[in-house]
Amino acid sequence: MPHHIDLYLKHDSPLHRLDTRAKSLALAGFVTAALVAPASPAWPLLGLCAMLASTAFLGRVPARVVAQRLLPLALVIGAPFLLSLLGGESTRAAGGSFAARSLLVAGAFLVLVAVTRAVDLLETISSYRILRGLGSLGEFILRGASLLLEEVIRTNRAWALRAPGARAAKRVAALTAASVSLVGRAAARSDRVGAAMVLRGFDGTLLAPPPRPLPLAEIGLGTAFALACLLIAGLGRWA
Amino acid sequence: MPNTDPLARARELSLAGLLGALGLLLPVGFHALGWAGKVFLPMHLPIVVAGFLLAPSTAASLGFVVPLLSAVLTGMPPLAPPIAPLMAVELAAKATVISVVYRRLRLPLWVALLLGIVVDWIVLALAAVAAADFFAIAVPPTTYLWGVIALSVPGTIIQIVAAPAAVAGIERRLPSLVPARKSNPASPRSASEDDEP
Repeated sequence: MPHHIDLYLKHDSPLHRLDTRAKSLALAGFVTAALVAPASPAWPLLGLCAMLASTAFLGRVPARVVAQRLLPLALVIGAPFLLSLLGGESTRAAGGSFAARSLLVAGAFLVLVAVTRAVDLLETISSYRILRGLGSLGEFILRGASLLLEEVIRTNRAWALRAPGARAAKRVAALTAASVSLVGRAAARSDRVGAAMVLRGFDGTLLAPPPRPLPLAEIGLGTAFALACLLIAGLGRWA
Repeated sequence: MPNTDPLARARELSLAGLLGALGLLLPVGFHALGWAGKVFLPMHLPIVVAGFLLAPSTAASLGFVVPLLSAVLTGMPPLAPPIAPLMAVELAAKATVISVVYRRLRLPLWVALLLGIVVDWIVLALAAVAAADFFAIAVPPTTYLWGVIALSVPGTIIQIVAAPAAVAGIERRLPSLVPARKSNPASPRSASEDDEP
């Protein structure tokens, strides 16, 4: 079974089924709104937070999972915020605004990647001509990462079977040594992959994925969400 | 436009995929061991190696894609606050400079590596200025830059030690995989190094 590293949560929800382009559009609107909404009064940011929470609920993304995934950001968001508390009123306000916006934007990205497979995101990126090279390179990287991860897991499992009581440090050392030879093997393998690509007809040009019909209803839904977010931010600025 | 040497192009893409995969997995391993990524810069190492082994355009694309892909796949580096976008610009510039200096200008490996590290810091400073304005971050960019440089000393030392060794190892053991440097007349890649990935 191939191993994948991504943050996708396998569920069946309306958000999981929604077209990736619609979700990306909604995210773009949300992020823009989170960046332009005023920090004071607080209701626009709270409104966006409520929209994000309801979207996560709709996508069956548990709050616990979002909180766990936001935890590694505690240092990069928390430290500047705590430092700002030592300053004057304007510094404290800037620190609070920075923390609130960062959490909202990071949370929105986490909800998006929890309901969208990385492969689908890359395929959507590849469908745009100007971004095709980056999207295709991302797909190459994803395949390489799956292969490497599988090998690392296999090596670790074999080591655990052969020396079940070994200390963690010894296992890490063995895994590191195995990984170096693994990278050598993977590099040799990439040579063969290149030859196989040419045999299958690769002529140096990266092909676009087959065009998918534009689901207008879903795009409309994504646009409506984005506009609602921007409306909240706009009303906040106007008020 | 179709590449004039599809085999070399395919090999370069698959090597880029492998180095990009390492750029994703090394930080995961470092974080799993509890070692700080900001100190040891595990993502930088494969990108620096890519700068030595790949054409400038491919190396730049790889440097740009890996931090953003890692943010989407693993949640680190974070997209907000904008550390992943800053790293994307920083790594793309670093890989491009190393590739141009080493592969095009044929200067020694050490010169390319040191220039790459210096350009990395300059680009990081410029990107930090832009991001600070855009995100209304109160920390002055110079403070951020000095903090980053001071934190990343161990990672920079690892790059200076490990990257030349890795490049020499790959060039010695897998010569067919490594495209020849630009001015070598025997190079099968010389006509196609400029193509987009």
